[in-house]
Amino acid sequence: MTESITAPAPAGRPRKSPLVYLVRFQSLLGLILVLMGGIIFSPRRHGHILFLNPENIANIVRSISETGILALGMTFVIIAGGIDLSVGAVLGLSSVLTAALLVNQGWGLGTTLPLVIVVGTIFGLVQGLISARLRIQAFIVTLAGLQAARGLALIASNNTFININYGQGPGNAPPAFAVLGERLFGDTFPVATLVFLVLAGLATFLLDQTRYGRYVFAVGGNERAARLSGIPVRWVKISVYGLSGFCAGIAGIVHAGQFSFGSPNDGSGYELNAIAAVVIGGTDLFGGAGSMIGTIAGAVMLGALANILQLNDVSAAMQLLATGAIIVLAAGLQSLVARGDGSTR
Amino acid sequence: MRKRFDDHSLHPKDVARQKAAGRIGMGKRNLVLPLLALSGVEKRFGGVRALRGVDFTLTSGEIHVLLGENGAGKSTLMAIISGAALPDRGTMTLAGTPVRFQTPREAHAAGIVMIPQELDLVPGLDIAANLYLGHEKVTPFGTMAHEEMLRGAQTLLRQAGVTLDPRLHVSSLRMGERQLVAIAKALASDARILILDEPTAALSATEAEHLFETVRELKRRGVGVIYISHRLEEVPRIADRVTVMRDGLVVGDAPPDAPQADLVRMLVGKSFQDLFPPRASSIGQPLLTLDHARFTPAVERAGWQAPRDVSLTVHEGEIVGLAGLMGAGRTELLSSLYGFEVRGRWHGGVAIDGKPAALGSIRAARRAGIGYVTDDRRSTGLVLGHTVARNIVMSTLARMTPWGLVSAGREQTEVVGALERFDVRPRLPAARVINLSGGNQQKVVFAKELLDNPRLLLLDEPTRGVDVGAKGEIYRQLRALALNGLGVLVASSELPELIGLCDRIVVMHGGVTVAAFSAGVSEATLRRYSLGEALVA
Repeated sequence: MTESITAPAPAGRPRKSPLVYLVRFQSLLGLILVLMGGIIFSPRRHGHILFLNPENIANIVRSISETGILALGMTFVIIAGGIDLSVGAVLGLSSVLTAALLVNQGWGLGTTLPLVIVVGTIFGLVQGLISARLRIQAFIVTLAGLQAARGLALIASNNTFININYGQGPGNAPPAFAVLGERLFGDTFPVATLVFLVLAGLATFLLDQTRYGRYVFAVGGNERAARLSGIPVRWVKISVYGLSGFCAGIAGIVHAGQFSFGSPNDGSGYELNAIAAVVIGGTDLFGGAGSMIGTIAGAVMLGALANILQLNDVSAAMQLLATGAIIVLAAGLQSLVARGDGSTR
Repeated sequence: MRKRFDDHSLHPKDVARQKAAGRIGMGKRNLVLPLLALSGVEKRFGGVRALRGVDFTLTSGEIHVLLGENGAGKSTLMAIISGAALPDRGTMTLAGTPVRFQTPREAHAAGIVMIPQELDLVPGLDIAANLYLGHEKVTPFGTMAHEEMLRGAQTLLRQAGVTLDPRLHVSSLRMGERQLVAIAKALASDARILILDEPTAALSATEAEHLFETVRELKRRGVGVIYISHRLEEVPRIADRVTVMRDGLVVGDAPPDAPQADLVRMLVGKSFQDLFPPRASSIGQPLLTLDHARFTPAVERAGWQAPRDVSLTVHEGEIVGLAGLMGAGRTELLSSLYGFEVRGRWHGGVAIDGKPAALGSIRAARRAGIGYVTDDRRSTGLVLGHTVARNIVMSTLARMTPWGLVSAGREQTEVVGALERFDVRPRLPAARVINLSGGNQQKVVFAKELLDNPRLLLLDEPTRGVDVGAKGEIYRQLRALALNGLGVLVASSELPELIGLCDRIVVMHGGVTVAAFSAGVSEATLRRYSLGEALVA
């Protein structure tokens, strides 16, 4: 007999409390709330709402593109029941590597960018492999990976900050690379954001519409049941880190392009923002449940929130506190629902 | 620890508490006045009337067995008694005093302890630390009084009739031993009423016998025991009184020696023999043939009985039972055939369709058309938080996703068909599995495995934790599948189940198949061979 004591399973339809819907759409609701708050609390100039100023909106969507890309990969990892603390450092490594190859080695874009992405992916796969083979918790492996990636970034950059100058000849990067820092559609839409949106579309498709996505959910939901059902559990568990590394690699390139330099310290702490976006998006840190659209909304929400606070000249300290509060709120809402469901989480 | 009945040097608070628990002021051993009495209890969960006016009594020193199908209301009744839920209507008295527990803590303080199926022991701590969890003994210097706790733990274990070293870690204990430790822990908190929820569900016959002795010892000490069970064969061995619930009502009391058939009729309204479908008239070709087969695991594990010398054949359309005691190697045989969570090699004759086969990995097993349903659907069968549909298609994702893409239409068709075929209720693909009853969860596991059209199904305790009605449905399903050519190898510790269901029964002992019987063998014979006695004689 498996019915729980506090909530005997009714034989009829499963009950759905409004809370369930609240959580399912928590990131979208939260996003709407934050946007409304942005409009209300925004400083005004000549009757214009600064928050809605195209320039400001471009700023917001640009600022979220990097952590957003990291969060996409992180979503796969977390749904599969893992965690990847190395993404910020891998972003740094990729950014430095991009700058070093373009500037110091004089490579072209056609060789540099694929190589950087491959390096990020392999870095992730190696972490997954170590975690799966040696049965070490992902938290530990990727914590070690964070250190290792920073070390590699220092080596690649020769322990310095590499400026990217555009032009022809040695010491200059191909001018085409500068496009990552530019905007499209009449100078309104940052290219970096476009990269994020394209990747977000692909990630959503992969998670929701493919067999692989189902595998990821099943492995995170119950690894042993997945294995019994013939799902290649180990491969899934390794591959999600590859995806995460892939995303971190691209994020590093975007970072180098946006800021026109590569520094070994780039992206430090980004992993926490990425995890925050995923959690705010309603993905379960225990694995097995979550959504890509939630993650995207979570990332936008974090970016918009930071922007409102900045517009109002709120101190950096208060910004951190506000972000912390939102993460707790999102997680609290989830655990409320878990309890209401009688699930054992 | 336990306070004596005639101890007059009690703190006033203790006196009040003991009065509430019925120890003081009711004479030496007054068995007439019930220790616990519920009357007219009603409880509603949303639209579901879980209890519809239930009367229930328990006297001290009594073992009161409570029977009922899933959803009959047993759990709700226990939740009310143990303070986890409040009744909507009705009264509860403890030793004559009306009580209404707001929290489990209050019930606990009044001496009512419930031992849930999922034991609340900390596996990483030793037995003594578990027994004293939350009320550790401390020396005057503020450090833990380890010696004192060890001695106390020894006393508690002795009182519970357990011979275990209190320094052993709980993680190293078998299920049965853990169960006994949980009971000893209840004793530590001075329990007056002990509620056991299917305590033998995960125990072997010997372990269960040991548990019975402990429960009888508690009874001698005057503890009132409410014993919930699905295993009807236990009733005559443990019960003083039996109460049967159905659909939120008490349908009747029965004497402890009531025939099982009568109990089944009270539980489901039909007889036990009717649960088993008629046998097949013919069987097909040999599907799985093991001829003195032996499995060597890559890593030896203590307590893991590797198949040492196994000979058996499962034909198409045949249901073969595996009997044997816990530790005889039944589960190990199934999991090494399927290659689940054990690595190693098979030696000797292992053939599928008469051709030698290399089994030992899940991939190889599935390619050979073998499916496996373990004995623990919660930890290895289902993703509890996912929907019924997601669970059902889990083993057939490759087929459901042409070109690696999810085909919602195909999935919907297959799932709806499977829900229909296995009569899963509610018939909602989007319902979360965790909200289904045990029997329906088990049907989802079957549906998942059978959707992949296996030719041979390995089953380990297929009806564990499933009520009698759902058992009947599972037996009917299995027979229907066998009639279509499926071969089934089913391990069970319930002998009546094997006898009623199987075409042939193979008995294992110590990793060796010691005998095989055709239908009609007696329970006594199976038991004798299971114990290995017949070999010696």
